[in-house]
Amino acid sequence: MADLNEQEIRRLVEEAVQQLGANVSGDAVSQVVQEAAAKINAPANTSAPLPQQPGVQQSRIIVTAFGKNRRGILAGLTGVLAESGCDILDLSQKLLQEFFTTMLLVDISESSLPFEEIKTKVTAKGEALDLKVIIQHEAIFNAMHRV
Amino acid sequence: MPIALEEILETIRMTEVEHFDIRTVTMGISLLDCRSDDLKRMKTNIYDKIMRTAAEHVATARKVESEYGISIANKRISITPMAIVADGHYPEDFIDLAKTIDRAGDELGVDYIGGFSALVQKGFTMGDRSLIKAIPETLASTKHICSSVNVASTKAGINMDAVKMMGETVKLTAEKTADRDAIGCAKLVVFANVPEDNPFIAGAFHGVSEPDVTINVGISGPGVILRAVKEAPADLDFSQLGERIKNMAFKITRAGEFIGKKVAAMQSVPYGIVDISLAPTPLPGDSVADILKAMGLEDVGATGTTAALALLNDSVKRGGLMASSHVGGMSGAFIPVSEDEGMIHAAQKGHITLEKLEAMTSVCSVGIDMAAIPGSTPASVISGLIADECAIGMTNNKTTAVRIIPVPGKEAGDMVDYGGLLGAAPIMPISNLNNSIFVDRGGRLPPPTKGINN
Repeated sequence: MADLNEQEIRRLVEEAVQQLGANVSGDAVSQVVQEAAAKINAPANTSAPLPQQPGVQQSRIIVTAFGKNRRGILAGLTGVLAESGCDILDLSQKLLQEFFTTMLLVDISESSLPFEEIKTKVTAKGEALDLKVIIQHEAIFNAMHRV
Repeated sequence: MPIALEEILETIRMTEVEHFDIRTVTMGISLLDCRSDDLKRMKTNIYDKIMRTAAEHVATARKVESEYGISIANKRISITPMAIVADGHYPEDFIDLAKTIDRAGDELGVDYIGGFSALVQKGFTMGDRSLIKAIPETLASTKHICSSVNVASTKAGINMDAVKMMGETVKLTAEKTADRDAIGCAKLVVFANVPEDNPFIAGAFHGVSEPDVTINVGISGPGVILRAVKEAPADLDFSQLGERIKNMAFKITRAGEFIGKKVAAMQSVPYGIVDISLAPTPLPGDSVADILKAMGLEDVGATGTTAALALLNDSVKRGGLMASSHVGGMSGAFIPVSEDEGMIHAAQKGHITLEKLEAMTSVCSVGIDMAAIPGSTPASVISGLIADECAIGMTNNKTTAVRIIPVPGKEAGDMVDYGGLLGAAPIMPISNLNNSIFVDRGGRLPPPTKGINN
């Protein structure tokens, strides 16, 4: 019953008592509740619905990198992403004098690695190239910049 | 519409340069089902419930921080006012319970636990009296526990017995923690019209009308608003200045609500509210005072400061209300002295005084907050200050509060440094004129007629 919160458990117990009548024994309630909880947990085991925004996929991340321009920066970053099985959907970059800024929109749904690992790998590669790399899920930008 | 590079860079500038963060994600936990007349049993009930309910709170908040690149400065818990939970017990029992809760907080890794609280605007229960008696020792002997007492409301008026008692309690708390520059007082706040879903410390508690568990969020973005105001040309009129603040407030509120909903959903807990208060930090540039200065004042304390704060407060609300359907808590601008770099400087130079802060109370979120005064200040003077702030709150139908620190052994002009988010405070002078007959009258100061609004 690990995925049920306290309120859900209480609601289940209330429901069970209602169905079984008030004079039922504690064991019987416990059995009905456990059965019901197993049913709830069995099918999807989705850990609560996350607030979804239309058009936003949870699997898309945005990689932003800043630093002094030099050869191989983009190749380095995209190389790590490709190795990790990520798909680059969009890319834009700006060069202000010596200063390089790039933004990559990346789909990580096909990657075998979890978000944290991809983040660690790309950030480490960025550091090796003297870049500051920031990686965030796309959803935060939609929340802040779209009405 | 895809996100533009400029929008991404703006977000990153907010978090990396302008110190925009989520000040707190506060999990409210009801302890009403933990009550027992057996102290040992109640301690077990409370400890178990907090440990069980908030087991993943800190880890979840860290995960969300990492995934969305916005840091969450504090992970906190608020609980049902202890005076209600432990009514029927003695003051020593309250201290004992607080220590148990403190230990849970330690083990969970949360920063603060708010809710060592009593609501006494109309009178005391035995539990209320016991809790208030236990406050000084509790705050001296625990690390995470924060305490608040609501002594007035627009409906009930001001409980002047409680006001007197709280002046004395503040003094006692200062004395008990004299070795740490009276830090106990930084964790004690006296309220009028306290909100029941406030995520901010020291006044956070989990109101009795709240669900079993909930997540409330407080944002912190003075740095972001400061840039919007600083970049405004000197001849920009007030409507347009307000517009700029509003736009920024919208963005930071959306971020706050988004993060709060994520933290709540990942723990299968209902999301409550976002508190759109602008909460400053002692970091350079993350200052509410600096925003007021950027509007065109030489320093806070100049004439016009209250008007500037009114504009700031209102503009933030306009943006915040558009951004979120559930705005709650304090939702105004905080003007703490020690926690705001600009305020600290202004207080050091004598530009901002307690009298001006009191005037600013009428248009801000709480009132006299984190202001240090000489340790020799009598309890009746502190009670008088509490009564004044309560009168503003009661009459204007708003939340007001006093979090004041009479630092033992320090005089006006000295400094105290608490470090971290609590910052550093210059000792401010306060009027020591005698008010003891007034404070000693006691009883209930009647509410204003506007409290009768049905």
